[in-house]
Amino acid sequence: MEGGFWTDFAWPAVLLVIKIVAVIVPVVLAMAWLTYAERKIIAAVQLRKGPNVVGWFGLLQPIADGVKLIFKETVIPSGANKVVFIIAPLMTFVLALVGWAVIPFGTWDGGKLVVSDINVGILYLFAISSLGVYGIIMSGWASNSRYAFLGGLRSAAQMVSYEVSIGFVLITVLLCAGSLNLSEIVLAQKERGLATVLGVPALTFLNWYWLPLLPMFVIFFISALAETNRHPFDLPEAEAELVTGYNVEYSAFTFALFFLGEYMNMILMSAMTSILFLGGWLPPLDVSWLNWIPGPIWLALKISFFLFLFILARAAYPRYRYDQLMRLGWKVFLPLTLVAVVVYAGVLLYAGWLPK
Amino acid sequence: MVLQALAFYVFAAVAVAAGIMVVTARNPVHSVLFLILAFFNAAGLFVLMGAEFLAMILIIVYVGAVAVLFLFVVMMLDIDFVELRQGFVKYLPVGGLIGIVLLVELFVVVGGWVSLPATKSAIAEPVREGVSNTAALGRLLYTKYVYLFQAAGLILFVAMIGAIVLTLRHREGVKRQKIAQQLKRTRAESVQLVKVKPGEGV
Amino acid sequence: MNWVQIQPALPEIVLACAAMALLMLGVFRGERSARLVSWLGVIVLAAVAILVASVTPTSGRLLLFADMFAVSLYGAFVKILVLGASALGLVMAIGYNQREGIARFEFPVLIITATLGMMMMISANDLIALYVGLELQSLSLYVVASFRRDSIKSTEAGLKYFVLGALASGMLLYGASLVYGFAGSTNFAQLASVLTAKDAGNAGVIVGLVFLMVGLAFKISAFPFHMWTPDVYEGAPTPVTAFFSAAPKLAAMGLFVSVLVGPFGKLVGQWQQVLVLISIGSMALGAFAAISQSNIKRLLAYSSIGHVGYALIGLAAGTEAGYRGVLIYMAIYVAMTLGAFAVVLCMRRGGQMVETIPDLAGLSKTRPGMALVLLIMMFSMAGIPPFAGFWGKLYVFMAAIDAKLYTLAILGVLTSVVAAYYYIRIVKIMYFDEPADAFDRMPDRELGLIQAAAAAFTLLFFLFPGPLVRAAEQAVKSLAG
Repeated sequence: MEGGFWTDFAWPAVLLVIKIVAVIVPVVLAMAWLTYAERKIIAAVQLRKGPNVVGWFGLLQPIADGVKLIFKETVIPSGANKVVFIIAPLMTFVLALVGWAVIPFGTWDGGKLVVSDINVGILYLFAISSLGVYGIIMSGWASNSRYAFLGGLRSAAQMVSYEVSIGFVLITVLLCAGSLNLSEIVLAQKERGLATVLGVPALTFLNWYWLPLLPMFVIFFISALAETNRHPFDLPEAEAELVTGYNVEYSAFTFALFFLGEYMNMILMSAMTSILFLGGWLPPLDVSWLNWIPGPIWLALKISFFLFLFILARAAYPRYRYDQLMRLGWKVFLPLTLVAVVVYAGVLLYAGWLPK
Repeated sequence: MVLQALAFYVFAAVAVAAGIMVVTARNPVHSVLFLILAFFNAAGLFVLMGAEFLAMILIIVYVGAVAVLFLFVVMMLDIDFVELRQGFVKYLPVGGLIGIVLLVELFVVVGGWVSLPATKSAIAEPVREGVSNTAALGRLLYTKYVYLFQAAGLILFVAMIGAIVLTLRHREGVKRQKIAQQLKRTRAESVQLVKVKPGEGV
Repeated sequence: MNWVQIQPALPEIVLACAAMALLMLGVFRGERSARLVSWLGVIVLAAVAILVASVTPTSGRLLLFADMFAVSLYGAFVKILVLGASALGLVMAIGYNQREGIARFEFPVLIITATLGMMMMISANDLIALYVGLELQSLSLYVVASFRRDSIKSTEAGLKYFVLGALASGMLLYGASLVYGFAGSTNFAQLASVLTAKDAGNAGVIVGLVFLMVGLAFKISAFPFHMWTPDVYEGAPTPVTAFFSAAPKLAAMGLFVSVLVGPFGKLVGQWQQVLVLISIGSMALGAFAAISQSNIKRLLAYSSIGHVGYALIGLAAGTEAGYRGVLIYMAIYVAMTLGAFAVVLCMRRGGQMVETIPDLAGLSKTRPGMALVLLIMMFSMAGIPPFAGFWGKLYVFMAAIDAKLYTLAILGVLTSVVAAYYYIRIVKIMYFDEPADAFDRMPDRELGLIQAAAAAFTLLFFLFPGPLVRAAEQAVKSLAG
């Protein structure tokens, strides 16, 4: 064993903690003001003002909400299964956080800005997003309440259904990119693609996969709505039928954890969509002054764009009925994505565009 | 290496403990949750072995899909534990006997462990350096084992047919939504503007 | 891997594609297409049988798919028999399914996938390939066993078959993993070269082999792993029972022979003892347990257990003559059992199936033709010369005597005498008892044809035994080389 305790263990550990904090703090802050943005945007759509009392333009509203939730009493129903009841929101929250470990934010001095640059990043993200269902189904069961249980069941069926098509969409992306590593996928969108084929390499945004994979891009985004239980697929918490479904028995901080988890999942799915289809941290044009703007900012902009779409979908669409939801997942998306995998693989193979 | 050894013991110990809890937990839902924990630790062990692809697939397929459906079903079951225990006592002698016989056989087998002399040459060679295990798996699966791969696909095909054959029932007289038809409707054929004079009704 | 290389596997590929194509056809044509899909399935099975005959080399073995898949005359022999049995089973089911209101286009698809699984088992040259084929076959069979899903008996049959079958698969896998662990390979050829007679004392290999045999014995429903057979035979729809008693048994027996003779050929001293026990047990059980049965399907179930016992005598002999005896015996057995079930399928009274033995009373007066067919089948199963069953028994007994397994041969003769009691009792009931009400008219012409063909084969086999015996001999030769 060469080297001492400090150089071998302590310093890397400290570095890792710093990295993690540097990722988590902005994410949590972004999440807080995402709730604010949501209320403001929906208010604008509905010609209202939205929060405007706490702070300038109501900007401190999220903090006020957070303080309120923290100081309220956590009520655990007497019939609840206590351990599972407590673990469920924690799980939702933690799962929404750990996904960020593999999200690449850009390059710096030739290195990558990412907490953990693993080989199978895309699978890791897929796994994490598919685990999100546990928080909901566990809370639904542990609450010992019919509404909560129905919410949990709905959520389980819904997420398992849409995961399938998400999986196939991911396959089309990685057929084009030739790697399961998220940074590699982004870099593949920089170097190869439609713009390069057309002979205008400066128009990087044409290289991104949103254009060649347009149907997959749309399906992925819609499935992401379903996967995060967002409108118009928010059946697990349909307030009109299930009085907010799985989290009906939760109060105060445990509720806050669910809330945090849901919004962070939204951000995570937006980040995933940006990386897979909008070139992650890449600027839209390969020109010097756009390249000078750091990658994380481009990524943040793209994430914000998708979050805006998330919120717009909530403002614009009525909720799906459950059979419609299942029909869309199994009878429309699944066959479409299945065919797409075959077609894209065939085209890539036939045209010789398969990545080396 | 110290960290890896530590991680191995943690994963292995938790996996074994979770496995025991799966069998002994009184509540079936807890059993499933422990099963999930065991899956997670198995995935951790895979990662330590450098098989990250398998680890992720284990989580996606088993934890993300199979165990969810398990949980789904178990939560809806109403299991009478007293009855279960009665059966347990009733079948304990026979089951125990078979278990002991198998255990003894296992001891005999492991105790007399002698790999055959010609075996060495047949042992599979490890993955070469510089090949990611996803690529290595893919290469093997689609060349050497393509027959088994396709056959496994056929088995799943049969499983799908079987599930549908045994459960699907076409109910008569159910009104179904026909989305294409709904979308085809035009304003002209579905809305009619009627001038209603006050006091007369339509 | 190019086209020429995988050409010997063409029958299997065609069958797999046909299953999917027929499924699509059924899905798009709707429930009413059951009859069409079934007949197309029969045609496919027949065509594949011809294909098998045309791609198989006249000598030696072709290995493909990284040596996991073997094509030889032996495989072709068993495969053609299996395909024929499946096709006949399917033909018998078409009319029945329609009458009983369970006609669905998935049925022929499942029969085809089961047959595909059987062909893969027969061609297996690797423990993994063996398991995969076995599982494909079993899974299809579990589903068809409970095909009449509204009947409790049928679903019980399916469930029982599934649970016990899964247990057997587990045993088989356990055995296979032990063999792999000690011998370091799953490939049959490598196993054969690694396992020599000197390794007879290696506990791991022997225990693995025994577990492997347990799994396979379950699939051929040999004693003491037969307990599922009567219940499944009784509960499953009758044409499914007919199918069960013919094709899967044939395939599993073919696999049993090729596994024991191929990779474990040099351990013959080890598996011979086990086989002798299994064989004696099956024969005795088949003879004694069937006596008290009143349901004809259960009776035929026990009878099939007994027949498996006789066939295993040939395998236990461990000689080429013995293996040849197994093949001949199984071929004759399939003809007999299909003929007998074709008669059982005609046992309808007032639009309802009846399946007890007293229902057959006086059949010779009401339906002389049917009675005659059943008489031939029963005499043949009992082993009374000159019917085919006698010659089948003769071949395996001779092989056993040549291999100096005198006890086995004598016990075989004794149990067949006991078994003759209940076979002949049926004949007595048909010919000498007071007639019961007549059965309905023969429901399908195909059933009559199958009855006639089976009867002709069993009756006239002694005149022309040459082709079958020679084919079996050639098949066995390719097994060894």
